This record gives sequence, C-alpha cells and structure tokens, in this order.
Amino acid sequence: MKTVSVGTLESSDCLVTIKPHESLEIEIDTVVHDAFYEHISDLVRKTLKEHGITKAYVIVQDKGALDYAIKARLTTAIKRMRDDNG
Amino acid sequence: MARSYLFIPGNVPRMLQNMDVYEADVIIIDWEDAIAPGEKDEARILSETFLKKHAPDVEIYIRINAEPSLYEADLAHIPLNHVKGVVYPKSDTASLSKLLKVLPDSLDIIALIETPGAFFDIKTIAAMERISALFLGAEDLCSELGATRDPSGDAILFARSTLIMAAKAYGKDAVDTPWADLDANNLQKDAARAKNLGFDAKSAIHPNQVPLINRLFSPGAEQIKDAKRIIAMHERKGTMRFSLDGKMVDKPIIQRAYKLLEKARRYGLDGGDSVD
Repeated sequence: MKTVSVGTLESSDCLVTIKPHESLEIEIDTVVHDAFYEHISDLVRKTLKEHGITKAYVIVQDKGALDYAIKARLTTAIKRMRDDNG
Repeated sequence: MARSYLFIPGNVPRMLQNMDVYEADVIIIDWEDAIAPGEKDEARILSETFLKKHAPDVEIYIRINAEPSLYEADLAHIPLNHVKGVVYPKSDTASLSKLLKVLPDSLDIIALIETPGAFFDIKTIAAMERISALFLGAEDLCSELGATRDPSGDAILFARSTLIMAAKAYGKDAVDTPWADLDANNLQKDAARAKNLGFDAKSAIHPNQVPLINRLFSPGAEQIKDAKRIIAMHERKGTMRFSLDGKMVDKPIIQRAYKLLEKARRYGLDGGDSVD
C-alpha cells in the first residue's frame, strides 16, 4: 500500500496526500483556516464518499485553492492509489 | 478569424482560473509538451474539473498528446460542452486519419505542422473537412531541420509560405508559431513578418505577448475605412469589378474587404456603419 501525493504548494493550488489507514482521518493545513476549514473538510469528505473511500489518511496542504482544484487533486490521488494497489 | 492563441499549461490552477483575463482570442490548454509524462492524469483531471465548474467565456482548444495511447485518455477527459476542438501535434495524414476515427463529432482539429514530412502531406491535411486551421510549430521543425530561428524569419520562410498557401487554398485559418523569447522587439519583428506573409493569427506562450499580437493582427483604421468604401461601392453598383480612386477593384479585393470587416466587427473595431 502506497502513499500518494498530488498537486503543488504554489499559490491557488494544494498538495493532497492520501495513504491507507484503518479509519478515515483528514488533516487540513490551510492559509484560510478561519474562513474555510469546515468548507474544505466537507468538500474532502464529499469527494471521498463519491469515490467510495471510507478508510484513508488524507492530508490537504492548501495554498488558497478553489474547490475544483482541491477536488481534482484529491480525485487524482484516489485514482493513483487505486492504480498502484491494482 | 481569431488573432491570438495563448498556450497555458493544463496543470496550473492559477493560469486556468485567469484564462479569460489574458485577452487571448483562443486559449489552448496544453496537455502535451508542458506536462511531464507522470503528470498527464493530474492535468486532465484538473482541467476537466475546472471547465465543468467554471465555464470560462473564451474559445478553448486542448493540445492533446500525439500518441494514440495517450490521446485516447485525453479525449475521455475533454468536457465537450466547453471545448471547441483539439490541437493535434506532429500532424500528418496517417496520424490524423487515425485520430478522426475516435474524435468526438463536436470537436474540430487544429493541425500542428511541425515535422518536415508534414509539408509533403500539407495539401491533403488542409483539405480534411474537420481541420479548421493549420498551425506552424517552428521550434520542433527547426530542431528536425537543424535550422536556427531569428527575428528575420529566414529559417522558416519556406515553411510559413507553404502552410499559408495550403490553408488559404482550402479556406482554413493559418496560425503562426510562437516566438519563444519574451523580448518584445523580437516578437514585434517576428509577428509583423508573419502578418505580412498572410497569417491570420499568431500564437503566444506568455500572456504578456497577447496585447502586441492582438494589436498587430487586428485590422487597422485605414484598412477598415478602405474596406467599407469598397463594400459600399460594390453594393451600390452591384458589380464585382469597378474603379475606386483610380484603382481597379475586383472579386478577390471585394472578398478580402468583407473578410477584414467581419474580423473588425468581431473585435469591436469597425466604428459603426459610416464609410466616411
């Protein structure tokens, strides 16, 4: 089981890391914590649910990414993790 | 009809989000050379998610990859409602014929002409129905030829002229290669040369290049005025051959006047219906 990271730490982007875990844990480090922590957390949970992920450790290092970018980076990470695991 | 085509990498959120403020007539989202082999999936998913969510108000093409195994994955991620077509690298008759078998019906193709071999195929390529434009890729071409580009354009004069002939013979747009350095004087010389040879538009690799290209490839005030006078005289006389200011005007000149005025109107440059 492999750890996968997708994205960058450049402005308007985010770096999403996902790795296998015995439960669902989400860690969010964002430059807009006070205003958007809950929003990003909901977006990550919703995207994971869309892909049927119930157990994983997800880290989002956000540099002001819009929703679509967070969703796209996480979606790519999920696909790569699945490809790596056959 | 467009004046400027701007390449932006498909894997950079900041550039995707700003695509409609760069003032380029056409945006080309690049999934080919600007994207490393291991990052193709990132670029496809990021661009697709962006376009579906934000639907920017600009004409969009995607530069797909040349190899079938890669472009089949590219095509699966193109949101058809938001993209006009694809820019296809290393175009030749055989590879385009293969692409046409799998390309969704709503997408047209801008053929990137960037190999010596393509110039022996160029008439057939220009004649293909779904090809909307021929686009010169001079950097790859010069690499293959061992030629060195400079602002004089000597190294690519034959390629430029051949591409323009083929495009115009089949009613397709001719799009010039980008100028690779960011020196505005060199860009000005290179773009002016392309415009004078007959290109309809030029491509850019940096947003800062767009205003100069738009200005150069827009019809000028005098040209617009002349075109209006030619059209007014043509419509008044109802003939395709007449004299204006002591010069003979015939069908090609009238057609060129209509085309120029259409371009001017598209970009809000015609200044109304007055012919004075």
